[in-house]
Amino acid sequence: MSFADKINSEFELAEKNISSEHILAHIRKDAFTSFQKLGIPSNRHEEWRYTNIKTQLPESLSITGHTTWNLAKDGFNSFAGIKATKLVFLNGVLNTGLSTIIEETGVTVGSLKEHLSHNKGLTEKYFGKLVKKYEDHFSMLNTAFVNDGAFVHVKKGVTAKQPIFIINLYNSPENFTQSRNLIIVEDSSKLDVIVDFQNLGFSSYYNHVSECFVGNNADLNVTKLQTATQHTTAVHTLEAEVERDAKFTCTTISLEAKLIRNTTNVRLSGENSEARLNGLYYGTGTSLIDNHILVDHLVPNCQSNQLYKGILDEEATGVFNGKIFVKQDAQKTNAFQSSKAILLSDEASINSKPQLEIFADDVKCSHGAAIGQLSQDEVFYLRTRGIHEADAKSILTYAFASQIINTITIEALKVYLDNKLKERLHLDF
Amino acid sequence: MLSIKNLNVAINGQQILKDFNLEIKTGEVHAIMGPNGTGKSTLASTLAGKEAYEVLSGEVTFKGKDLLEMSPDERAREGVFLAFQYPVEIPGVSVTNFMKAAINAKRRHFGLDPMDAKDFLKLMRQKMELVEIKKEMMSRSLNEGFSGGEKKRNEIFQMAMLEPSLCILDETDSGLDIDALRIVANGINKLRTADRSFLVITHYQRLLNYIVPDVVHVMFGGKIVKSGGKELALELEEKGYDWIKDEVAAEA
Repeated sequence: MSFADKINSEFELAEKNISSEHILAHIRKDAFTSFQKLGIPSNRHEEWRYTNIKTQLPESLSITGHTTWNLAKDGFNSFAGIKATKLVFLNGVLNTGLSTIIEETGVTVGSLKEHLSHNKGLTEKYFGKLVKKYEDHFSMLNTAFVNDGAFVHVKKGVTAKQPIFIINLYNSPENFTQSRNLIIVEDSSKLDVIVDFQNLGFSSYYNHVSECFVGNNADLNVTKLQTATQHTTAVHTLEAEVERDAKFTCTTISLEAKLIRNTTNVRLSGENSEARLNGLYYGTGTSLIDNHILVDHLVPNCQSNQLYKGILDEEATGVFNGKIFVKQDAQKTNAFQSSKAILLSDEASINSKPQLEIFADDVKCSHGAAIGQLSQDEVFYLRTRGIHEADAKSILTYAFASQIINTITIEALKVYLDNKLKERLHLDF
Repeated sequence: MLSIKNLNVAINGQQILKDFNLEIKTGEVHAIMGPNGTGKSTLASTLAGKEAYEVLSGEVTFKGKDLLEMSPDERAREGVFLAFQYPVEIPGVSVTNFMKAAINAKRRHFGLDPMDAKDFLKLMRQKMELVEIKKEMMSRSLNEGFSGGEKKRNEIFQMAMLEPSLCILDETDSGLDIDALRIVANGINKLRTADRSFLVITHYQRLLNYIVPDVVHVMFGGKIVKSGGKELALELEEKGYDWIKDEVAAEA
């Protein structure tokens, strides 16, 4: 049976287990129809040209299969040093025993599966809406098979005191796990979310989708951590809609991967809204890290800023595709994009493509893409102080990367990442 | 301390140093003066081990060891220090972290454990005072956005921290106003000891008012053409370099 046939039959089976009354029934069916048209992309598809995901997903993978897992409290990184509400998902399913919830007025967190049944007002209004805006192979597949994930809601005018930490753990090499987040911050509210991914098995495959709604004058700050994701083949799609006077920040840190694709689509749909998208990726071995970003300026007076930095060593590959769309109405747009990558070996490579499509005439847009090596003058300067060549290169690589780490506003998280980076570079200062 | 014999050096295929000879004894301060483009900075870069400078022939012995055999970082750990004419700006590396890496590289080289944090901070404070550096500068990125004077002070601070045996100062006075020059020179003078030698490369005599040399050399056309005491510097200040050029021409 081909992978496509297998997915079809898994969908039919899954359909039988869901009542036609359920909020998801229609959404899933609709998404599956879209997915059937799109299929799993090959590298003949422009958006997947440098990331041949099709050849990296074994046909034996099951979409609906779930491996149960008895995991001890100390069997994973629970980020003990960071005070936050922590939701722990094992192969896509919430585990309440491992989770820690710090109650806060106006902040609701929990299992998406439960909230789809018990919080219909909100989920009907928001769930599955954003993925329809830019239909994508994997967000459609995810929507068709959605089971569980994190549900986060902040009421109007509430500033959440604690960050919400969503820890996704995977250990199953047989399944292509579909996991999902729905994050809603209502008008004038504020929230920090950290979404972490850890592969605790030999190899893992997952498809993760987050939908983020940022209401008028709200502020949502999402940090995605792919720092314990060795041997991981994963597709991440993050969709955000940003309303009037609101601010959305997303920082994606990818330090380990077999193949990781991050698709980040942001819609600036309310005037005077702002998006800041930062990314740091560090590939070694034969890993491939792909960041596809789209910032869609739909209305006037919005700002966006993309700042991505990549380090590629050994035979690693990086892909950067940064799109800025400025629609005809979006006058006075201020959009900026910068992508910088350093190649530390002759075998490493990066495919970098800025893509600006501007239909308004009174805008400020700029982009810069730089690919290079470490500066010989800088290496020499450090060496004249007695620092070994390899250490000098590590220090300069650290300096290059730390610009992104330093944008992180949660101090304990910044320290964690700073240490992680130093450890990776064998630096002991 | 340092012995340079018949050194010939080229960059980009063009020979700059021509049969260059120099002896510096332990504890001595030598100044090298000369017009622009005569090879002063080439000498400094060659001694520090910059790759682009190709040694065609000759020997350099430092404390009895073959300096040219050593990598730039090994030279530094063995005790050679170059204060750059144009210190490189390195965004993202704090002065503190940079110094910690440098000090510990040197300590490991001599089989010592890394310095503990408390001792390190104490040492930093001591040496900062020497060149009147404010402690805010320590957490700033290395040389990034530093003024000309701050950059040069930072070079001397690094020199004080690393306690080298041979200090090479490449045009350390360039771009300094009179106050900054005084601070830098005072810092250098405090580092003068019986077991440390200096090679001061400068275009102007004014630095030598503060750092009084034992020997002054005049460099021209890739080699030393005249040596003398500190009064030679004053003579050059008064008469310029033309009479040296004439002398060299007359000999040829």
